[in-house]
Amino acid sequence: MRTKVVFALAGVGLFVAAAMPVVAHHAFGGEFDANRPVLLKGTVGKVELVNPHAWIHINATEVTVAGEKKDLKGAAEEWAVEGGTPNTLLRRGITRDSLSGNPEVIVDGYQTRDHTLLRANGRNITFKDGRKLFMGSSGTGAPKDGADPTEPGK
Amino acid sequence: MRSHISIAIAAAAALALSATLLAQSQATRGTPTARPAAAPQPKSTMNPRTADGHPDLQGVYDLATLTPLERPPMFGNNLTLTPQQAKRLEQQVADRKEQAARPSDSNRAAPPIGGDGSTGAAGNVGGYNNFWIDNGSEYVTVNGEKRTSIIVDPQNGRVPQVTAAARQRQAARPNVPTSDQQEGTDPGLERAPGAYDDPERRPLGERCLLGFGSTSGPPSLPVLYNNLHQIVQTRDTIMILNEMDHDARIIRMNAEHLPSTVRKWLGDSVGHWEGDTLVVDTTNFTDKTRFRGSTDQLHVVERFTRINDKTLLYRFTVEDPATWSQSWTGEYTWPATDTQLFEYACHEGNYALGNILRGARQRDAEEAAKKSGNR
Repeated sequence: MRTKVVFALAGVGLFVAAAMPVVAHHAFGGEFDANRPVLLKGTVGKVELVNPHAWIHINATEVTVAGEKKDLKGAAEEWAVEGGTPNTLLRRGITRDSLSGNPEVIVDGYQTRDHTLLRANGRNITFKDGRKLFMGSSGTGAPKDGADPTEPGK
Repeated sequence: MRSHISIAIAAAAALALSATLLAQSQATRGTPTARPAAAPQPKSTMNPRTADGHPDLQGVYDLATLTPLERPPMFGNNLTLTPQQAKRLEQQVADRKEQAARPSDSNRAAPPIGGDGSTGAAGNVGGYNNFWIDNGSEYVTVNGEKRTSIIVDPQNGRVPQVTAAARQRQAARPNVPTSDQQEGTDPGLERAPGAYDDPERRPLGERCLLGFGSTSGPPSLPVLYNNLHQIVQTRDTIMILNEMDHDARIIRMNAEHLPSTVRKWLGDSVGHWEGDTLVVDTTNFTDKTRFRGSTDQLHVVERFTRINDKTLLYRFTVEDPATWSQSWTGEYTWPATDTQLFEYACHEGNYALGNILRGARQRDAEEAAKKSGNR
């Protein structure tokens, strides 16, 4: 009986996992370099709500790439950060004006495989106090990484 | 706290077990939910109707659902979940969304060097924030029962194994893009010689030719986001507009298929009414569409039935003897939505494709430099 209970419980867990998204417009692993993690702090500039994926431009005043903090000598670097389809945001009432006023943001993600481009995926985009830029819908399949202080076990 | 967890685990286990037992008993009795193949004639509420007397199928439908195409093997031949089990699973998803929307640490560091371990489309770099995703909050309900899979035939709810010929075909052309490439199995830059050599080798979704995951159909399947489809109906022509990638399927009513020399990305669709059910027959696919590795001999039959004023039942059967030794059938509901379907101008901002190819060229240059340095 004990075996059966454990088996059934595993079934529920797997079922939930199986419902997680596995297919998207493109494979992020082909576009972004897992060895080039970035942390950007700055303000929102241009917002391109274009298909298939939106791009949010950040005037970054603090840039860390692959563990090295860049010396920007007081200047800002413009990074473009990839989000998802804008159609979903529009249906939720979010437009490019929702980010007007150049709010300060923090982005963590990975740089493109072409390192001459200042582009990264918007793995996690928050305001400077940690609030998510928009409200969430469901998981990305990313494992818990400790970035969320409210995670169980933290 | 620990005792609460134990109780929760026990409850989940009990629910899963009861679902298993219930479904087993249903299978033994041969209830309609466990019976494959024969397309039932669902009862129609008979309204609304168009001027020519047929059910009016028009509207915008949101196909998002938590029910996967294929049933997780743990559920065996069980097509249905108990209401309690479905409620619990749906609550888990809702909790996960709520948790993902909570603030992050404002003093967080960059993610780890070497990748964050994420899988699927998020391929070890975490994809993007979850707020872009819209893949449903409930399991499909058919005849009042929540479903474990869209596939109803074969009984195990899985796509049948491909034939030996199909396996050989796929092995010989591993990098030819398809309409529904599973990005989770994309081999990445390091292990797919040639896959990144030119745009033509990239998946159709990435090239903005067709929506990924067979959202364009046929058969139309639910995907990660943008699951909206609009039906516009006249006596002679019915159109299904897919939000992604803004593809319009034109179904000619009571017509013959085009000559076999005419091949189309979404196939050639002709329709007729069987009572109150719209039956759509599609052939003449291109050999580049390749739904789940099929050939241009793919044949899809879809059945649309209005089951109430807000919902259609969508049932499809897929066959291609060169790919599967048997046909397979799925069904799920299309709930109407008041939300708006937007244009999806996919080429407009498709920077990703350029980024992907540029990344591959950089790798090529590095490898060439390494080789010349070794001389």
